[in-house]
Amino acid sequence: MDTARLHTVSAFLFHEARLLDQRRWHDWLDLFAEGGMYWAPLTHDQTDPINHVSLYYEDALLREVRARRLEEKRAWSQQPVTQAARIIGNIHLLADTEGDIVAVSTFHLLEWRRSGNRMLGGHYTHRLRPAAGGLRIVLKRIDLIDCEAAQETLETFL
Amino acid sequence: MDAQQSPDLATPDIARLVQPDRVHKSVYADPAIFDLEMERIFGRAWVYVGHDSQVPNVGDYHQALIGREAVFMVRGPDGAVHVLFNRCPHKGARLVAFPAGNVGKFIRCPFHGWSFRCDGGLHAVPIRDGYQGTRFDINDADFSVRRLPRQAVYRGFVFASLAADGPDLESFLGGIRSSIDNFCDRAPAGEVAVEGGVFRVWQQSNWKIFFENLNDTSHPMVTHESAVNAARAEYRSLPPGTKMPFQLHIIEGNGEPYEFWDKLEMVAFDNGHSYMGAIFTPPTDPVSLAYIATLEAAHGAARAREILQVQRHNSIIYPSCSPHTSFQQLRVIRPIAVDRTLVEIYTFRLKGAPDSLFQRSVVYANVVNSPSSVVMPDDIEVYARCQEGLKTQGGDWVSQHRDAGRDRPIAGGFVGNGLSELPMRNQFRAWAQYMTQDA
Repeated sequence: MDTARLHTVSAFLFHEARLLDQRRWHDWLDLFAEGGMYWAPLTHDQTDPINHVSLYYEDALLREVRARRLEEKRAWSQQPVTQAARIIGNIHLLADTEGDIVAVSTFHLLEWRRSGNRMLGGHYTHRLRPAAGGLRIVLKRIDLIDCEAAQETLETFL
Repeated sequence: MDAQQSPDLATPDIARLVQPDRVHKSVYADPAIFDLEMERIFGRAWVYVGHDSQVPNVGDYHQALIGREAVFMVRGPDGAVHVLFNRCPHKGARLVAFPAGNVGKFIRCPFHGWSFRCDGGLHAVPIRDGYQGTRFDINDADFSVRRLPRQAVYRGFVFASLAADGPDLESFLGGIRSSIDNFCDRAPAGEVAVEGGVFRVWQQSNWKIFFENLNDTSHPMVTHESAVNAARAEYRSLPPGTKMPFQLHIIEGNGEPYEFWDKLEMVAFDNGHSYMGAIFTPPTDPVSLAYIATLEAAHGAARAREILQVQRHNSIIYPSCSPHTSFQQLRVIRPIAVDRTLVEIYTFRLKGAPDSLFQRSVVYANVVNSPSSVVMPDDIEVYARCQEGLKTQGGDWVSQHRDAGRDRPIAGGFVGNGLSELPMRNQFRAWAQYMTQDA
């Protein structure tokens, strides 16, 4: 494995995590490549986001709506806002596909809003495209370990 | 009644909790009332179990809750769907584990291997000799998986009741049958099927708060202001002249002013059912046009128009589910505790309609009904705030005064203007009937 490339990807994932933890939504949105998708399947091993519902399946339009709503003064369910802290580890690069880098990682995401901490966790799969100015996200897939369970609301980005 | 005390649960006191224009807070907050609801409402009413299409093959099962009772429906070799308690008659173990699956040829208990037919009848027990000369009898119903006292199917929608007696399913549904009919009639093949997965979402609030909200037209522009503003801002950022994308349209629709909602019609039926009429605007988008072409090909233009003109926002089938016929969604409401409710959201395919229509229903579900919806969290937040506020000594009554006394009687129910709180009053009319009826 190319150590330099692993280092670059790790730095990117840590930076992305920091933007999300700090609620810097618009900086985070800029990490996506044109046409990039953000996807959290509802079932383990789900392959189809078109004919099957998903916890999230968002293009730029829906990601922007979510980000805008999180900044609205009268977003009642963000009083107080969701606080988050992520740990990402076990980063592993899969074989390159058509020039893109595919990185899998494990995350723990601790959230607090109004009534106690919530622990979310699972696996990220990032398909990243080298571009001028750094890597861009072609697909961020989030597989929650409890994706098939009944959920409390998921308001921000995972 | 002493406002500071939990009400005595004698029937005359229950009756005092519901008045024509207000209800006592204890109906939402008192665990003893919740217990009584489990017995008197969920122990009597027809409760939605699932849709026929969820168990297409022999041995397919789907789990459900009827009040506190864990049940499952399973497809037998005879083609019939059987609704059974999820309990082995031997030692009591739950028989099926997944929300849905297939039992194989027989239902086999994972503990000692007793096996049952899909109608619940005992098929075989190991080490049969040991039962010789005992009171065990393979043909005695006590040694079979117990069936629900009653079950019935209306156009593929399977209901069951814990009560042996009561009105039949069609009489129970009454006027709200028209919503199920229209749901199915919208399919060119006249049938619908559950597809594409099920969302399950927790609410930290009483089940009735959600039911009331389903036909509450004066909340969207207030509760959903953040999502409406976000969708409108996003639309303004698109190139001028862009047609509003479907995803934004279904969010932004919550921002319609009071005058818009008041023009709609609220129709309420006996037993707590109701629907909110919607205004039919002939669609011009390619997905709708392709779908309408299939409906016209099946039934002719006149009949197709008749079907499509029946436009409804949420319908309420009290006390267990709510179809949204225009976007092929069904929300199933399972009360878990006085302050905790589980909502399941199913998406349906209209058989004979193009894939693109089903795929649009999936988009609708993702945007509006997913736990990550940008619309729903503000609903769930305000429901939880009600639950918290109702626990306080800050007041004893919940208002349902808007347009009270102005509901107009129709056969089997009432009709009111779009902003009327008629559906809430109507739900409590049924609630009081169930709750004041002694066992």
